[in-house]
Amino acid sequence: MCLDDQILNTYLDGELTEPWKTQVEEHLNYCVACKTRFEQLRSLHAVVSGSRLEDETIAVHQNRVLQFIEKNYMEKRHKVGFLHRDFRVKTPMLLTAAAAFVFVLVGALLLGPGKQADANELIPRVLPASEGSLVQVRATEGLAASQVLESFPLEEILKYLDAKGYAVELRVKGIQPVGEAMMVPTEESPAAE
Amino acid sequence: MEIKSSENESFRHVYEEVFPVVMRVAYHVTYNMDVSEDICQEAFIRFYEKNIDFRSVDEAKYWLIRVTKNLAINVMKRKSREQAMVEKIKKAPKVPMRNGEDALIDSETRTLVREAVEKLPEKLKAVLVLKEYADLNYKQIAGILRISESNVKVRVHRARKIMESMLDREEMHVS
Repeated sequence: MCLDDQILNTYLDGELTEPWKTQVEEHLNYCVACKTRFEQLRSLHAVVSGSRLEDETIAVHQNRVLQFIEKNYMEKRHKVGFLHRDFRVKTPMLLTAAAAFVFVLVGALLLGPGKQADANELIPRVLPASEGSLVQVRATEGLAASQVLESFPLEEILKYLDAKGYAVELRVKGIQPVGEAMMVPTEESPAAE
Repeated sequence: MEIKSSENESFRHVYEEVFPVVMRVAYHVTYNMDVSEDICQEAFIRFYEKNIDFRSVDEAKYWLIRVTKNLAINVMKRKSREQAMVEKIKKAPKVPMRNGEDALIDSETRTLVREAVEKLPEKLKAVLVLKEYADLNYKQIAGILRISESNVKVRVHRARKIMESMLDREEMHVS
């Protein structure tokens, strides 16, 4: 019984395992038809495989791609050190930043003292609660405090606290709406504005 | 040798060894040098960027071949959709051939082989290209394509059968 193309191809590729490999070899020794067919398949393989892209042609592309990767990926990755980092700022940007800084500084010096005094008076009344970020501002706490706080509109106090980064929650205590016995807590969140 | 794809030394080692194979795979799927170069570049950039550990150079090679093959096949799929790409590939200059005695296959035969490979169905083409141009065995091809070895065997056989029927053997010249 003769060999089919698939077995011959497998044998040609050196993929035939042992009991069959020897059998095929023996068969090819005496069967002219199979031997001829095998030579045809080998020739086909030689022609197809031989029509490959050649190493010389590949080399140019190999160098070019490597240069691209070196330049755009490998070298860039080296610049990770903080001190070695390239801090380049464009001149207009630098000037703008400097001008802004001076502007803020001058503004603070001119307008600062008055406002700052006000602020300083407010700060001692802001008592951080023992548990984290909750802060209570009580208008009834001490005579001086009430006086100070009274001199500020509520809106300004809220603005001040908001600027300081406090999430302000307002509660109205001890005021009972007319006609309603229940106390309704009024909540306001200036931060949401 | 263990390979860390993002380490420059590992990368260069793999690149040196694997680039020709990967380029051949890309080329014999697309038959366009510029497109193949782009595909290889993309594959190696992915390799470098992904920072994968491979147990050996071969493992890295199989990974790169798989990525390249997929990129190349995607290009061909897109090619069939985009007319501009078709034109670009059709107008692609032929790869310069070596002249002289050591040229085993003449350019006419190469053209015939190219036309035959181009006509192969995608699945058979992938197997044939990996077999004939990447010099891989059935097991390696099976691993890369994630199919069984017997499936590879059958596809190699079918691909060659089609190739044979498309190639006029009288016009093939092997010196």
